[in-house]
Amino acid sequence: MKLRILLADDHEIVRRGLCSLLQKHEGWEICGEAADGREAIEMAKRLKPDVIIVDIGMPSLNGLETTRQLMQYDPQFKIIVLTITDSDQVIREALYAGARGFVLKSDAARDLVSAVEALQSKRMFFTPRVNDLVLAGFLDKGQVVPRNEAPQLPTLTVREREITQLLAEGKSSKEVAVLLNLSTKTVETHRSNIMRKLSLHSIRDLVVYAIKNNIIQIQLPGPIQYGAQLTESGD
Amino acid sequence: MAVRILLVDDHPIVRQGLRTLLQGRGDWEVVGEASDGLEAVEKVEDLRPDVVVLDVTMPRMNGLEACRMIQRKHKDGGPEVLFVTQHDSPQMMREALDAGARGYVVKSNAARDLLAAVESVSQHKVFTALTRNPQVPN
Repeated sequence: MKLRILLADDHEIVRRGLCSLLQKHEGWEICGEAADGREAIEMAKRLKPDVIIVDIGMPSLNGLETTRQLMQYDPQFKIIVLTITDSDQVIREALYAGARGFVLKSDAARDLVSAVEALQSKRMFFTPRVNDLVLAGFLDKGQVVPRNEAPQLPTLTVREREITQLLAEGKSSKEVAVLLNLSTKTVETHRSNIMRKLSLHSIRDLVVYAIKNNIIQIQLPGPIQYGAQLTESGD
Repeated sequence: MAVRILLVDDHPIVRQGLRTLLQGRGDWEVVGEASDGLEAVEKVEDLRPDVVVLDVTMPRMNGLEACRMIQRKHKDGGPEVLFVTQHDSPQMMREALDAGARGYVVKSNAARDLLAAVESVSQHKVFTALTRNPQVPN
């Protein structure tokens, strides 16, 4: 029987690349593709994949929160988190959330097949940097870190974390209400609670908080190579 | 029309996805790949593609600077640049066009827009498409 893999990434172009990579492996099949965390959760419950590959930076419901909710639903799910950053905080949150694999997107072409093979054999797979963190004592005294804890957001409920992301993405309370099938008043109440719990005073503060805590991700254009510029003639 | 394409993105998995999308056109050929802006400039020199599909956010040299450099180095008859980026903003798109790009599409819609974008820019026509403003006619 083929190993069934569910992909969750908001960029179809990335999903195409992942499909192309994984489908070369005989015995594996892509049983579904999701473009955001909510769709991933719905599809995972319905399709019961053997392995779920989740991008961290998805809109509406990010990959870390998706991982937490999937593991709460069924602790037997095997999840590989795909991320553009290997910061300590992201690594901790992914491990706390219950991910069994952690792969950098930049290394996905190299590492993802090994990661899926590891999970298929009931082992874990992490990039070398994460292994270093584990060896440095991140996993306390050999005990498995409790799952579904969000160490950076200890006072927010699941619903509050969801709403934090949506508000930080620029959605109004009304838009959040429609998306989550809540009343606007309920969303406003959650929003007030969030601001109070996190001691925030404006949506700008919320956005900064969300970025710092990897609830949403932003990308800057990247470096300019000044040395190369200086060698240009005629400028 | 045969089109020679250079793919530039720091993520190999994205380049693989782009290849998969482009392989539907038998008369187009991906002649090479680069993983940052500096490598892109070098490969344009070596491979002389017709179109450079370029990401913005890359190490060593970002896509905007690479585009400017390509334009400077190939003032007459250089490749057309098509940005495929996750920056879904009018400001970034304006900056890309000012850098000399002919096209700008957002990664989240690349599956929908890429083929039409390559087709257009290869014919020296502008193609831009943001999420909130799907394709702007030339």
